[in-house]
Amino acid sequence: MSVGEYASRTEVRLGGLALAVAVAFTVLAVEFDVPLDRLFTAGFLSRSLEMATPIALAAVGGLYAEKSGVFNIGLEGFMIFGAFSAAATMYLLGGETPTQGHVWIAMVAAVAVTTLLTAAFAVLVIRYEADQIVAGLAVWFLGLGFAPFTAAVLWGSRSSPGLASIDPIAFGQSPLIPLAGLVVAAAWVILYRTRYGYWIQAAGENPEALDTAGVDVNRIRYATVLFSGAMAGLGGAVLLAHAGNFVGTGDTMVDGRGWIAIVAYLFGNYNPIGAAVAALLFGGLDMLNVQFQTVGIDVSARLVNLLPYVAVIVVLTAWGKTRMPDAVGEPYESEE
Amino acid sequence: MSGASGRARDALDAAADRVLEASVLERIGIAMASTALALAIGLVIVAAAGHDPLRFASHLVVGSVGSERAIARTLRYSTMFVLTGVAVAVAFRAGVFNIGVQGQFVVGGFATVVTIVSLAPVLPDGGLGNVVLLLAGTLAAVVAGGLYAALPGVLKAYGGANEIITTIMLNFIAIGFVGWLVAGRFGDPEATATRTERLPDYVGLPSPLFDDPNLSIVGLLVMVGVVAGVAFVTARTRFGYDMVTSGYQESAASYSGVDAGRMIVSTMTFSGVVAGLAGAVFAIMIQGYYTDPSGVGNYGFDAIAVSLLAANHPVGVVPAGLLFGGLESAGSHVQINSDVPVQLIDGVVGLVVLFVAAPELFRMLARRTGLGGADR
Repeated sequence: MSVGEYASRTEVRLGGLALAVAVAFTVLAVEFDVPLDRLFTAGFLSRSLEMATPIALAAVGGLYAEKSGVFNIGLEGFMIFGAFSAAATMYLLGGETPTQGHVWIAMVAAVAVTTLLTAAFAVLVIRYEADQIVAGLAVWFLGLGFAPFTAAVLWGSRSSPGLASIDPIAFGQSPLIPLAGLVVAAAWVILYRTRYGYWIQAAGENPEALDTAGVDVNRIRYATVLFSGAMAGLGGAVLLAHAGNFVGTGDTMVDGRGWIAIVAYLFGNYNPIGAAVAALLFGGLDMLNVQFQTVGIDVSARLVNLLPYVAVIVVLTAWGKTRMPDAVGEPYESEE
Repeated sequence: MSGASGRARDALDAAADRVLEASVLERIGIAMASTALALAIGLVIVAAAGHDPLRFASHLVVGSVGSERAIARTLRYSTMFVLTGVAVAVAFRAGVFNIGVQGQFVVGGFATVVTIVSLAPVLPDGGLGNVVLLLAGTLAAVVAGGLYAALPGVLKAYGGANEIITTIMLNFIAIGFVGWLVAGRFGDPEATATRTERLPDYVGLPSPLFDDPNLSIVGLLVMVGVVAGVAFVTARTRFGYDMVTSGYQESAASYSGVDAGRMIVSTMTFSGVVAGLAGAVFAIMIQGYYTDPSGVGNYGFDAIAVSLLAANHPVGVVPAGLLFGGLESAGSHVQINSDVPVQLIDGVVGLVVLFVAAPELFRMLARRTGLGGADR
């Protein structure tokens, strides 16, 4: 195995990122003379997990779509729609004091709504061969425009009033974290251990061969794109269920997490588990702020918030040559 | 050898001409149909939200071209959309997706303000000082914007990093970092809002034609000059030719001796220079100081829509920019004079982009309705 091949393995990439994060922590801790055990607390881990959950869900969806040959760059937009639909459902069912039941129904409704929207996106991209990059960007614009618009119609303001967040279960953890863990594990099994998973991979690598074998390439692609939208919507709904209210100002409460999700799966080399680990590392980076404040390190929150974005650039450059599936971005038309 | 490469160039010329020019009419048709469909859906949504769509439509017209003030406001927004749209178009035309125009625009505008504010004390007041400061500020913007765009270009060309993702990340970084600088080191301690010091009173562009203090004929001339300059560079120079062919025919371009990596970097830099210039015009003509960039307006993002609507043609960006300027201007009017939330207009912009991305949809619609030619 050459060095290049070795370096492109998921474990090596993740190890590299983890090492870089650890070094960054250590340098900061030594620089500001803070004992590491006060930085790495159980609370930090739990907050990081919570932060990583929406990213991991969207990333798993996105990687399925891209594995099958469709680059769903609209994850950010679908997350915005998911978060908004969850908030709207919760408000319409329970007013400003929704119950836990309402929170769960809201998440299901959010997935239903985003799946419906994704169906339209899928038809445009697959049937009408729309440019995938441009159409995905459009989804982002649509989310940035219509979610705050509908919020303003509903609440008279771009953000919702305080609704309800999900109650923690054992150890003060959100039940959505293990739920996302299950989704990630199932996604891994299906992609690498089932015949359908191989079809998905073939649809992205060699659609002609799959077609010859009698499998409808575009049907697979519809399924994965719908799944990607549903997962991004679920990610947005999870974000909302953790936060408890919708924020539609600025880049909305999703605030770039959909983009980070894309990088997470690129970084995990299209492996669902790798993507989830990358999401966790980004989540941890994001939560550093809180840690710095609690141990009294005086760094601007605004600057620390930029760390994930910087990390993404470093990661993409160091491992930029992620091998995309061959047929990504190309519409497929059966010869018959 | 020279004969062979000459033939190759002829073939390339012909191919590039065909790709770029053959379907101009069709593209215009698709752009107009996309806009009309998006606006129609917008009106349906207005009606569904319980407002009067006809009233909303008339607000759109009155708010964009209904009075001298509205026209001046439309032209002011259009100047920004055309400049940022040209920046996007330059890159897209060369097959490089510069989603980072917003970041380059912010970095450029901030560089302008910082340069002018820090140079002002050492230069004489009045007319000469004004000219020198404006030139220095613009130069700073152009350099800052160009460098900020060159970075993702270098990362793509030599690190293989996807420029779509890196430029989006660099937008977040520019907005956060400049916001930090404006709030901290470069903040005006006497201002109540988060902003830098104001530009000196004598620094600014003359506005002889319009009453609007935030619209100058010089700004409009800069816009026209940039459009003409970029159109000339892409259509009439060796650099522009190489840029466009490497966008449409990568292998052919490298066959004719174009260094693909260098081309990516110079294309991004060119695009960033224009974006930085847009930032300078924004800072000098409209703001007069720099605020937290999360609130300066999404010109760089909407510019993507402008460019796509114009099929990434530098001249086509002018009508597309006017349309977006009109929509934005109507948005300010709508916000004051009606209950319809102004974010609807951002949504309509998204719809325009979505439809522009799917020309097949309109070809099919044209076929179904019998409007298109028999060969479509």
